Amino acid sequence: MLGSFKNVLRRILRVFNKKKIIQLGFYGPVNAGKTTLANKIAKDWLGKELGNVSEIPHETRQVQKIENVEVSTGSGKLSMNIVDMPGIATQVDYKRFMGFGMDDEEAKTRAKEATKGVIEAIKWLDNVDAVLVVMDSTVDPYTQVNVTIIGNLEARGIPMIIIANKIDIKGSKPDAIESAFPQHLVVPISAATGKNLDELYKAIENYLT
Amino acid sequence: MDLQLDFVSSETLESKTKIEKINFIIGKIKENVILILEETLDPIEEAELIETTMREIDTENFHGIEFYRIDHESTLRDKIAGYISGRKTGLTIVGPTRLIEAIKRGPDYISMFAKLDIPKSKKKK
Repeated sequence: MLGSFKNVLRRILRVFNKKKIIQLGFYGPVNAGKTTLANKIAKDWLGKELGNVSEIPHETRQVQKIENVEVSTGSGKLSMNIVDMPGIATQVDYKRFMGFGMDDEEAKTRAKEATKGVIEAIKWLDNVDAVLVVMDSTVDPYTQVNVTIIGNLEARGIPMIIIANKIDIKGSKPDAIESAFPQHLVVPISAATGKNLDELYKAIENYLT
Repeated sequence: MDLQLDFVSSETLESKTKIEKINFIIGKIKENVILILEETLDPIEEAELIETTMREIDTENFHGIEFYRIDHESTLRDKIAGYISGRKTGLTIVGPTRLIEAIKRGPDYISMFAKLDIPKSKKKK
């Protein structure tokens, strides 16, 4: 009940109090390309990257923040703080990391950090103004993790854009993401090549600010 | 390994607070039981379930969960009735990752892929 009241209040305040700088959270499952996208935006507009990217799951295990990113959208300027979240997962098995050449101790440490990262990302849901939900368009989008992330944003009244990432990869199916979540705006991009990022900036300006 | 599936009625779940419900689910899963709940968890409960799972993961015995919410397709009237009564119609499948490999949605069905340590001689039968 209190949560519903807070959501209504948040929506009303958003109408009257358009923020000049939005706190933009990057959410999604593990290995969807959140940090690649955050890096691409930060590199293009600030000349520096935010964090490491890797094919090893749970490379981002702490919330990473970069402030005052100003992006020109053609019709104006967009100011945002980018908050790159660890990927959301329902399981963390240290043995999976050992398949990437880590020894037992390294893998266990990474697993422990990964679980803390997931908790931190969930806690941060209360501190973001808007969210980009980054999904990998080469895999089935109808997963419980994606459904839970979107359900939580809807329940909290946080505006979102779904990013269908990795469209540069052969066999990617951004339309499958659109079919899975027809109630939300889906922007197909490639964070790796920068394809369609201009469309993304316009969408952020139009839908999230 | 024996496979235990427990069906839990909505009445049983209704009598529990949110925290009790999450602890009940995690407790059962850590005993290697797959649960089929006669209700859906709401998104906030799902996030709490993930958060609690992350706190409970230990490197040797418990690596996490797989779960899937199956919403009951209902009319607007049913939805309003559900909202008033607080009852969330549908099902939730939830279990430990050491047993559930994946849960996937097909066009007309949901498939659960379970891992069973069946000896090779039995597999041939």
